[in-house]
Amino acid sequence: MRLFKSHDLPGTLICVEGIDGSGKSTQLAILRDWLKSKNLDVIFTEWNSSELISQTTKKAKKKNLLSPRTFSLLHAVDFADRLEQIIIPALKAGFIVLADRYVYTAFARDVARGVDRDWVRNLYGFAVQPDLALYYDISAEISLERICANRAPSFYEAGMDLKLSNNPYKSYVIFQNRVNEEYASMVEEFGLVKIDANNTIHSKQILLRKYVTDVLQQKGIQL
Amino acid sequence: MENNTNPHNHKGLLIVIEGTDGSGKSTQIEKLRRWIEDKSYGCMVSEWKTSRLIANVIDDAKDRNLLNATTFSLLYAADFADRLENTIIPALDSGFVVLLDRYTYTAFARDVVRGLDIDWVKKLYNYAPQPDLVFYLDVPIDILLKRVIGTTGLDYWESGRDIGLSTDFYESFKIYQGKCLEEYNKMKDIYNFVSIDGTLPCEEIHKKMISHVEKLLETGKLD
Repeated sequence: MRLFKSHDLPGTLICVEGIDGSGKSTQLAILRDWLKSKNLDVIFTEWNSSELISQTTKKAKKKNLLSPRTFSLLHAVDFADRLEQIIIPALKAGFIVLADRYVYTAFARDVARGVDRDWVRNLYGFAVQPDLALYYDISAEISLERICANRAPSFYEAGMDLKLSNNPYKSYVIFQNRVNEEYASMVEEFGLVKIDANNTIHSKQILLRKYVTDVLQQKGIQL
Repeated sequence: MENNTNPHNHKGLLIVIEGTDGSGKSTQIEKLRRWIEDKSYGCMVSEWKTSRLIANVIDDAKDRNLLNATTFSLLYAADFADRLENTIIPALDSGFVVLLDRYTYTAFARDVVRGLDIDWVKKLYNYAPQPDLVFYLDVPIDILLKRVIGTTGLDYWESGRDIGLSTDFYESFKIYQGKCLEEYNKMKDIYNFVSIDGTLPCEEIHKKMISHVEKLLETGKLD
């Protein structure tokens, strides 16, 4: 299956992973501006944003209609749609594709929800293997502090569907800790590059640019 | 995780009717439902693509021609998972006879014809309980064509127009449904289908089905 071997498309696929509040989206936004300033062709895509299904999924989440399996499948539909419509065409055209979350988000969250590990890996077997996948590691407690600066955790974010605790804040920490455990195990399994997300935005960006520069160099792009 | 080759341990009975479009499934299901209820058993019918979660999304996406083979497959898988968890399993656990118009075999046939990997599709559905009985209504392509043209007319998706088999509607339907029939034929032995000649008079088909269902009921599982 495609996910388990490197692709031979001209473009470069870079993705960032990690639980909410890890600062990965900020890092990717700064990286994007930098790459664009170098006149490179860059395209950005984020989790659960497809024209086909993202609105349906958001509505279903609001109504708490999803089981772990349907949650998993709807996100897979979203991913498959973006893969075929956005990611693969851009890679064929030689773009640098920046993905805010990729299949590893599903592997971490769905398994933390009790979905079978092999089943969800098979589900996303059609995905293209990234050239670089970074995992921004932050504790569930700090994540909670950051996201709750302006809102409460949502039902599925907090894993309230798993009935871990009646308190959404406590549930969030238990659930996101599980997600982090899954991410940690994928460092070896998929070669995710683990980054300490507690560092400053500046130092994290310097590190990110170093990794990106190396990967692009292998593709024949000098920065 | 359940597997398609292990008997299920739910209280009720799971009976499936498979066959291509125009093979007479709905008619037979309705007759069978009445017969089962006359015998004082609880009976529930569930049809393919009727989940509250996603069925309308599939129709809409089909109308707008938004689907590729993978998203087509995954949307149906999400529909199936939702119906299985919210309708089929609860009914089975309550001791109902559940009559299903199409089951995982429909997905196997259609997805493979659309070029997807059979092992991938099988794993996608590997949690589905194995039916107690699978009827297959076998109708040759020329008779199917007449039936469909004489009733609903040729539909874009039922003709497999999305996979570009032919620009001619009639030819496309013939090739697409022919390929689906080939897939069903391959599955007959693998999954122990009770294959019934779908060109027989309606009452005769019904009698044949009843004789098999009677044997199941005689096991006393539901008494």
